Amino acid sequence: MGLSETSPTFRDLARIAGTLRNPRVDSWKSGGGKVMGYYCSFIPEEIFVAAGLLPFRIRGTGSQGTELADQYYTQVSCTFPRHSFDQALRGEFDFLDGLVVGTSCDTIRHTFDNWKHAGLKTPFTYLLHRPHVTGELQVDYYRRQLEKLKSAVEEHFAARITDEKLWEAIELCDETRRLQQELYALRKVPNPAITGSETVAVMVAGASMPKTDYNAALRTLLAELGTAPGGGKAGAARLMIAGCAHDDPSLCAIVEAEGGIVVTDFTCFGGKVMLESIGPRSGDPLLALARYGVLDRPFCPKIGGAHPMRKQAVLDMVRDFKVDGVIGQVLVSCDPWGGEMFLLKDELKEAGIPMLKFETDYLPSSVGQLTTRVQAFLETVRR
Amino acid sequence: MIVGGVDIGSTTAKAVVLRGDEIILGTILRVTTKPEHTANLAMEEALKKAGLSSVQELDYVVATGYGRQKTTFANENISEISCHARGAWHVCPSVRTIIDIGGQDCKSMSVTEKGTVAGFEMNDRCAAGTGRFFDVMAKVLTCGYDGISSLQNVSETPAHITSQCSVFAESEVISLVNNDVPLADIITGINLSVAGRAGGLLRRVGVKSDVVMTGGCSRNAGLIHALEKALGVPILMLPVDPQFMGAVGAAVFARDKATAAKAVPVATQPAKEASHGTV
Repeated sequence: MGLSETSPTFRDLARIAGTLRNPRVDSWKSGGGKVMGYYCSFIPEEIFVAAGLLPFRIRGTGSQGTELADQYYTQVSCTFPRHSFDQALRGEFDFLDGLVVGTSCDTIRHTFDNWKHAGLKTPFTYLLHRPHVTGELQVDYYRRQLEKLKSAVEEHFAARITDEKLWEAIELCDETRRLQQELYALRKVPNPAITGSETVAVMVAGASMPKTDYNAALRTLLAELGTAPGGGKAGAARLMIAGCAHDDPSLCAIVEAEGGIVVTDFTCFGGKVMLESIGPRSGDPLLALARYGVLDRPFCPKIGGAHPMRKQAVLDMVRDFKVDGVIGQVLVSCDPWGGEMFLLKDELKEAGIPMLKFETDYLPSSVGQLTTRVQAFLETVRR
Repeated sequence: MIVGGVDIGSTTAKAVVLRGDEIILGTILRVTTKPEHTANLAMEEALKKAGLSSVQELDYVVATGYGRQKTTFANENISEISCHARGAWHVCPSVRTIIDIGGQDCKSMSVTEKGTVAGFEMNDRCAAGTGRFFDVMAKVLTCGYDGISSLQNVSETPAHITSQCSVFAESEVISLVNNDVPLADIITGINLSVAGRAGGLLRRVGVKSDVVMTGGCSRNAGLIHALEKALGVPILMLPVDPQFMGAVGAAVFARDKATAAKAVPVATQPAKEASHGTV
């Protein structure tokens, strides 16, 4: 029996993850609140929270195709921005009062241009320049970029973002990360009470609703899971998913239907967002955010010079979660993760960890081939 | 002990009965739109050849291939990657590398000395370089699959097929035909193109002798010739029809499972009685 049957809290979070404009967004907007959309996990939500905005991570949930978006992208653009931008062209993101895109990969960065070129009427749009290399010099540069973003948000939304408010927002988001770390820690046991696909839904919901509500829901869920029986998968191969933007629980569900259990992940909507905290409060909050983004947590493969840190984070997870095998998932045409996976595959092999790498589209396709590969992988891992 | 293995592939279905060490091959059948029905038909053929009348006479059955999960008379299903490796190793223990080219998939596997899969690679999504690709080309060239696979059509001056995509490659071949390029040159070019892709998959797992080919495309002598040329190593011919390797591997697994678990005979398992269908 899954959490959908046993936990109303999980059902609520899964509903939020399963749609774009959800009841929490509606209630925020009906109270006069504004919503700030953003792409990519490195964008500092804390600045938006400090400005009294609701941060909403953009995704392609509900998309059935990319017919409208295709004219804006080259053939070698991955399908995550295609689907999410297609949803934008269909009006699914009309509820956003602002959009912040960062200079992560080229396709995401071009989505900012496409958004403007297509004439979408989002009232506030901003391109955040994030360094593509890790280092102290880049921290200083990035801090200045965050200062400019803060000023632009203050001006457009008539908000005043004080250091005090920023630290309060950082503490709120740190509390989210701490609770998410607790959730992941529950999966270290031999028979976790929450599956990988359920965890994806919980994580995605966290970037789609007010943090205070989310933290309260997570506390309730953690209390429920703390006393819940195991999920009936004791002895199953323990897997980790590493790779691209992964906001659709169905990919994990396909893997878990073959008999494995996904116990952790290193993906943009999952494990990567909660591995580190920013606080405790000390000094300049913008500097703390900048350090977090490019020095302490350079988990986006688009940040050069930081692969050893990402490799170590993956290996630490493999150890802590007793992972039997890693599934490397790359969206077709994703260059940053394609290169990262090329390195990771050999590094995991060296560490004696089996790895299955596959390329998928944003919407899972060729499920028959996928299940064959997963099943064969599980057969080799279990051996 | 008598066990069975059935392989419901994307294009054809094959079944095998293993009576002691004797491998009894069924018949290669085209799949129907109902995998369970196809499995029944394939197993019926193998049972007939073994002189058996019902799947209930088998101690254990393993299904593999695309339709493996719909084969309700099987005790369990195992991926075709593990089954091809196990089957090829069973009939040829010196095998260390396998290229399996079926109707829709192309897989490479490295095999341990114990017959287990050490690593594998599989084509992503598209059917380029598989049996479907040859079907399309045979149709364009009106030479049939025999024409594509005949060593008579190996040329020293092959045409260059650059496109990896079946649809675009078809356009290229049509252009070559209309430029009066000799048929043998085109056919050799097609086989070299597929061999190039298969060679890439093989190199990812590491090419270690003995190398064998399994799956329906192992009937293509022209492809084997091209692959040997691309890899620079001989492709060993298996002593049992390589197209049956998935089913052979499934049957060997069935025997292992039945022996290890001292499995309850199929005939006494009530859950499966209702699903025997025509078998």
